[in-house]
Amino acid sequence: MKNYYTIIAFTENTPGVLYRIADLFLRRKINIESLTVSEVKNEDQSRFTIVVFAEPDLVEKIGKQLYRIIEVVKVIDSVDTDLVAREIALLKVSANKLEQRKEIEHLVSISSFVRIIEVKKNYLILEKTGTEKDINDFYELMKPYGIKEFVQSGRIAVFNT
Amino acid sequence: MKLTGSQAAIESLLHENVTVIFGYPGGAIMPIYDALYDYTHSKKIRHILVRHEQGAGHAAEGWGRITGEPGVVFATSGPGATNLVTALGDAMMDTVPMVCITGQVNSAVIGTDAFQEADVIGVTAPVTKWSYQITQVEEIPFVFKKAFHIARTGRPGPVLIDITKDAQLASFDFEYPTEIKLKSYNPTTQPHMGQIKLAAELLNNSKRPLILAGHGIHISKAHKALFDLAQAADIPVALTLHGLSSFPNDHRLYAGFLGMHGNYGPNVLSNKADVVLAVGMRFDDRVTGRVVDYLKDAKIIHIDIDPAELNKIIHVEAPIVADAKPALQELLNHIKKQKHTQWVEEFHKCNAIEKTKIWDNDCNPKKGPIKMAEAVTRISEATNGNALVVSDVGQHQMIVARYFKFKLPNSFYSSGGMGTMGYGLPAAMGVKTAAPDKEVISISGDGGFQMNIQELGTIAQEHMPIKIVILNNGFLGMVRQWQQLFFDKRYSMVHMQSPDFIAVAKAYGIKGMKVKKREDLAGGISKMLQSKGPFVLEISVEQEDNVFPMVATGASVSDIRLE
Ligand SMILES: Cc1ncc(C[n+]2csc(CCOP(=O)(O)OP(=O)(O)O)c2C)c(N)n1
Repeated sequence: MKNYYTIIAFTENTPGVLYRIADLFLRRKINIESLTVSEVKNEDQSRFTIVVFAEPDLVEKIGKQLYRIIEVVKVIDSVDTDLVAREIALLKVSANKLEQRKEIEHLVSISSFVRIIEVKKNYLILEKTGTEKDINDFYELMKPYGIKEFVQSGRIAVFNT
Repeated sequence: MKLTGSQAAIESLLHENVTVIFGYPGGAIMPIYDALYDYTHSKKIRHILVRHEQGAGHAAEGWGRITGEPGVVFATSGPGATNLVTALGDAMMDTVPMVCITGQVNSAVIGTDAFQEADVIGVTAPVTKWSYQITQVEEIPFVFKKAFHIARTGRPGPVLIDITKDAQLASFDFEYPTEIKLKSYNPTTQPHMGQIKLAAELLNNSKRPLILAGHGIHISKAHKALFDLAQAADIPVALTLHGLSSFPNDHRLYAGFLGMHGNYGPNVLSNKADVVLAVGMRFDDRVTGRVVDYLKDAKIIHIDIDPAELNKIIHVEAPIVADAKPALQELLNHIKKQKHTQWVEEFHKCNAIEKTKIWDNDCNPKKGPIKMAEAVTRISEATNGNALVVSDVGQHQMIVARYFKFKLPNSFYSSGGMGTMGYGLPAAMGVKTAAPDKEVISISGDGGFQMNIQELGTIAQEHMPIKIVILNNGFLGMVRQWQQLFFDKRYSMVHMQSPDFIAVAKAYGIKGMKVKKREDLAGGISKMLQSKGPFVLEISVEQEDNVFPMVATGASVSDIRLE
């Protein structure tokens, strides 16, 4: 059965790796739900965190095919229960009236992992971190006020083992 | 030593023991060709000027397959590089070591749509094992070292190095690395002992074991290891297209050629085997037929150096990541000596059926036009199988695979995974260049021959005494066969008018002869074999001849058709 998997790949930090990785997912017709590339501290390596929604069997196969890319050092695929994963979202929420602004400030103060990072005449910019679900829930919460812009990062994750 | 980038590139090739380059010059690679001038004049390296970069690519493949060492190609930027794509794809699919060096526009103008700029790294990424663009002259020694290391080790494959013109022209202190260690690339070559024991146990308890051996036997030079194991455990050996000539075809345990047009026995009986040892092969769909009922009742042991091949197509009980040779040798140490007389005889019985139903009439017809199988059989007999045979793609390819009695190990070269028409003639150039003392026979159809016919020019200029056979049926035969069998004989765009091949050969200064009648066949073949230089032998064969047996696409191998 299809499920969400997080594939974490450590690679040498050279150009062209992203291209080859993306090509492999394309060939196997696996849509990448999210992708984060970051540097590994103290080593000349990159860490790819790739979230896919796919059959377990295909995830295993693509994991092995990733090793065919010369620059790939290690590949680990895991399900959510093995990981602590976070994403970050920025929401630009309308706040024309004082009333609205107060309500939003109140909701922010009672929600976890949300901050107001910009206060403007017509809007507030909020930063929310959490799991995909936390972010979705918070999005729904803010929706009635009017979301002028929304952006969400890919997932980053560490192993919880 | 102070060198230019161009000199460094060639010095690097010398460090890698490269003796021959197949190539074609152009603007962005001119500095390298200028440096080459000195190296070719002092005979330190040989350059063979092809007529099309695709030809260089396939020639390098021929070289790579016979020597096990990367064939080397030079091409210019833009169209020169894109012309290599088919050969790269072919080498990638068929696991052939190759290093392509392409010129690139100046680094300052990359990305600006400069004249003859192409995103070569982008275009070739899916068809190369590794690729790299050099923009700094200092990168040359390490990148060359790395490229050759990657091309020839693990599962071999094609590698491409793209060098900008400014990097070719700049100078630096050249020093070639003696060793290389890559953090991210360390192919496993030695088998895991636990897995070997598991595999041995499966084989030791098997009543009807079968070995499926492929290209990996040649790459790993595991011919003896395969032979010893098969012999000790009395296991029939079936070969894939690229595995042909890895096991003696006159041996009692030789089960035959696998696949869509393979032999009857190994196809029908593979589904009766209880344990299958697959080694250096990848369960291509042309071998498995319909996968769901392939080897349904067998426990499978699969040895491959590429972990991604294990469990890719079918589930295996004992996956073994290793080089074929040490794995087979180790397996031998744990195997019980056995006899499977009855099981082996089943293959012989199948062969007898195939012989009466197909072989006899295909190879020795008494009347009617010459048949492809007949022509191939006569060539096989005339050479006693002692030849290196390169085939193109189509009906004739399957016929060569089926009927040529290869005597020398690793003596059949063909495009398998990609099925690239036009492969044969240029690949034969690479094979002949690497093995000048061996008889090299290129066998093509009238269609595929015209896909790289221009390489006759290279063959003439370089005096390559290749024996070139064209089996002319006036059709794109393999496609015609499918149209006949599966599309109600609606022949759509498969009839092909060809030039007078002998006149074409003559125009290139190559001798030739056309054979139309059975009584002239033996004479034509012996004239070709006796010729000192290259020779084109065109044989007119039956126009609507079909290759059988055949496993229709989507059918199970058990349903192989004999007619
Ligand atoms: C480059 C390329 N184009 C098309 C095909 C499809 N194809 C496979 S076999 C074949 C016919 C080959 O005809 P010919 O070379 O005359 O050989 P024959 O089958 O008659 O022996 C074709 C068109 C191919 N394999 N390669």
